Amino acid sequence: MKVYVEPNHELPIVSLSLAFRVGSVCDPPGKEGLARATARLLRRGAAGLGAFEVEAALDALGGEMTNDVGLSLTTFGFEVIARNADAFVDQAAAVLAGPAFDAGELGRLLRETEGELVEARDNDRGLAYRALRRALYEGHPYARRSAGTLASLRAIGRDDVVAFYGRHYNRANALVAVSGDVDEARGRELAERLVAALPAGPETPDPVPEPAPRPGRHLVFVDKPERTQTQLYVGSLGTHPADDDHLALHVATTAFGGTFTARLMREVRSKRGWSYGAYARLPIERHRETFTMWTAPADKDAAACLELELGLLAAWHEGGVTPRELAFVKNYLGRSHVFEVDTASKRVHQRLEADAYGLPPGYHERYVERVKAVTKDEADRAVRTRLDPARLVIALVGTHAALGAAVEKAAGTLDSRTVLPFDFE
Amino acid sequence: MPSTSPAATRRPPPRALSPRAALVERLNAGREGGARLAYEGSVAFGPVHTVERFRLGNGLKILVLVDPSAPVVSYHTWFAVGSRHERPGKTGLAHFFEHLMFNETSNLPAGTFDRKLEEAGAESNAATWVDWTYYYENVPKDRLPLVITMEADRMANLVLRQPQVDSEREVVANERRLRVEDDVDGSVNELLYRTAFGRHGYGWPTIGWMQDIEGYTPDDCAAFYRTYYAPNNATVVMVGDVKLEAALKRVQDAYGGLESAALPVEDVLPEPPQTAERRVEVTKPTATERVAVGYRGPALGDVDHAALTVVNEALFGGRSSRVHRALVHEAELATDVRGWVGTFRDPGLYEMTAAGRPGVKAEALLEALDRAVAGVVQGALGEDELERVRARLELGALQGLETSGGKAEQIGFWATVTGDPAGSFGRIEAIRRVDRSDALRAARRFLVPEARTSVLVRAGAAAGGQP
Repeated sequence: MKVYVEPNHELPIVSLSLAFRVGSVCDPPGKEGLARATARLLRRGAAGLGAFEVEAALDALGGEMTNDVGLSLTTFGFEVIARNADAFVDQAAAVLAGPAFDAGELGRLLRETEGELVEARDNDRGLAYRALRRALYEGHPYARRSAGTLASLRAIGRDDVVAFYGRHYNRANALVAVSGDVDEARGRELAERLVAALPAGPETPDPVPEPAPRPGRHLVFVDKPERTQTQLYVGSLGTHPADDDHLALHVATTAFGGTFTARLMREVRSKRGWSYGAYARLPIERHRETFTMWTAPADKDAAACLELELGLLAAWHEGGVTPRELAFVKNYLGRSHVFEVDTASKRVHQRLEADAYGLPPGYHERYVERVKAVTKDEADRAVRTRLDPARLVIALVGTHAALGAAVEKAAGTLDSRTVLPFDFE
Repeated sequence: MPSTSPAATRRPPPRALSPRAALVERLNAGREGGARLAYEGSVAFGPVHTVERFRLGNGLKILVLVDPSAPVVSYHTWFAVGSRHERPGKTGLAHFFEHLMFNETSNLPAGTFDRKLEEAGAESNAATWVDWTYYYENVPKDRLPLVITMEADRMANLVLRQPQVDSEREVVANERRLRVEDDVDGSVNELLYRTAFGRHGYGWPTIGWMQDIEGYTPDDCAAFYRTYYAPNNATVVMVGDVKLEAALKRVQDAYGGLESAALPVEDVLPEPPQTAERRVEVTKPTATERVAVGYRGPALGDVDHAALTVVNEALFGGRSSRVHRALVHEAELATDVRGWVGTFRDPGLYEMTAAGRPGVKAEALLEALDRAVAGVVQGALGEDELERVRARLELGALQGLETSGGKAEQIGFWATVTGDPAGSFGRIEAIRRVDRSDALRAARRFLVPEARTSVLVRAGAAAGGQP
């Protein structure tokens, strides 16, 4: 088990993040949602207490327990008023190590999740992003939805949860980050107590093959009635920090669409007023993640906005960043980095993330220095190598009868086109 | 009895100026009028920090919390103007300024403001609500002078011509589509307030009605700017690694020449008491029904606001709360339940929402909510329950104070709405003092069926009703 501690005595709060190296990519095929269901069920009855009693016991101590299941990491957040840290950590440890996994509670949880999946269809941006990932990572675990689907949830039973917990919830698989009103020794003591009752190991092997770029240009139109606005994503495979050109692509992406005055925002919002937001992103994960552009134009502007974005992407691919853009973005990234490390919890989470995602040594510590060293040639080469305008997925939510033909025309030469109902999951 | 001893008639010995008085005396040397600084005392901000209060001669309030724990400064400018100050037909103007203020000034060409800030490594944004508008920059500490200069510039020198207005109008119309037209919860919340308030400005949406957005003119904007964007209607908050004397000197230099405005008497129309429940139904392209309820709530300064917040936490705070347990866990009627006691200057709403599971009717959600509400009206909270609720609220209040930006936001909000920059800590104390009687009184005072508005949301046929 790895433990990281960052003391800060300004506020009487102690925070612990417990991450297990397991996520939705470990869901068995056909049982998507199992990792998330396991994490959520943990607190619904444990250590001799029922679901309500667990919640009441944590609340009474001024404590908060959260959980998040990502692609490759399951993270439990614990935060508590410092005076109650001992009692809270003991209670949390009992929950972690002694879940009841009551079959009745599992049934409740799965029905609740089904309701959430149906309600999530009201979130157009979320729908567009799901459509993008399904198409971009077709056949790869990164295409999965951590919450699962209506069908996969119905295939999950108590034995699945017990087995999943038994395989993955152990000390070898755990990373703990502690910050707040503790010193180093006290932080380590609390971390040890939190996981003391868990079995020793073994660590979960990474089950994920490196995702490959999807050839061709593909359009996925999620059809939803009565839309006045489209949610529009354009995406392709990105990079991992271990790639030599990752930081160069990060710098170039920030210049292209990472700030309020970047090229994408300037053209889409500032000049034309077509979308409230216009951003390009390059997130990191344990493997290569997604490069995305996002806008939300009114339906009347959707086709023109897509055409503009594809044109901007092609121009960027062809011409790279300008020297002025590069100088600007280096200043921006270098100076704003202070906000990535201005609190103890941010600093300690950087350390946890570096371990969990296999970041190269010194990734965060040498970030500013390495950003400043990126040259125009490196940035342009990274864009040309990693992003190909002929190898894209375009995913949007809108009303197909009104926009379908215009959007398809704006999308250019396509290798596939798909229309999905908005309740496709 | 007064002393008549000779000692009492002598002139008092020379007394050293307090450090703050000496600071102000140095800073005021050679300055006149609007640029002269007055020290208005300090306020403890929790157990560790202090907020120092100053005011310029032109009325600008300045609040400074020095915290050198990170090499950053959060710089906030809070204007005491929000959507409540607008007039029918021109709704959304306060929010529109949140956009215009990042545009052109007589000293900075269009696009330069954001570019300069980003090049300095700053995070910047703004927010508008019913009672206030604020702008903020989080900057590396050595860039504070730049921010002070730029904020003072746009307080007085904004360019408001047709191209600027047209460009931002399109962006705001798109923001409205994003947050309201194509968002079920956003549109339902708008309908709830429109139905609940017939007179007070809280009844119209902060983003404005679409037809009003489409009708703004440069003259509308110029009039609003001249009226409300003035130093005597603003509070500057600085939190972080601030060199106090240098920062104040820069503020004097940048803002000292600005003229104060003749602030209008607010033509506020208090909402008359509500004596009958209002209920509306609306059909949305959603697969699940939901309900939104707004009881007449207290103003933030009301003596029972903290007590009603405790009641709300007992009903909606976390998975152990009454409503979550009843509607989500046990009866399996809802996927999500929320409650919030409005934090407005005038009496607002105590909002409750419940999002139904597939196939659950809005009436069933409302009935279940009513049963939970009846529980806190008919009997006091349990002792353990009250303890639990107070602990949750205390943690929540502390969580918002971790960053410089979080502290600056709390200071600016409380100073603008109630006049107390340390109000967030006063709030923690007030919640600690709430007892079972207070909570019961507040529940009975505000959870009155006749004084509520309900919106029942039907699932539109086109959206499909079943998984």
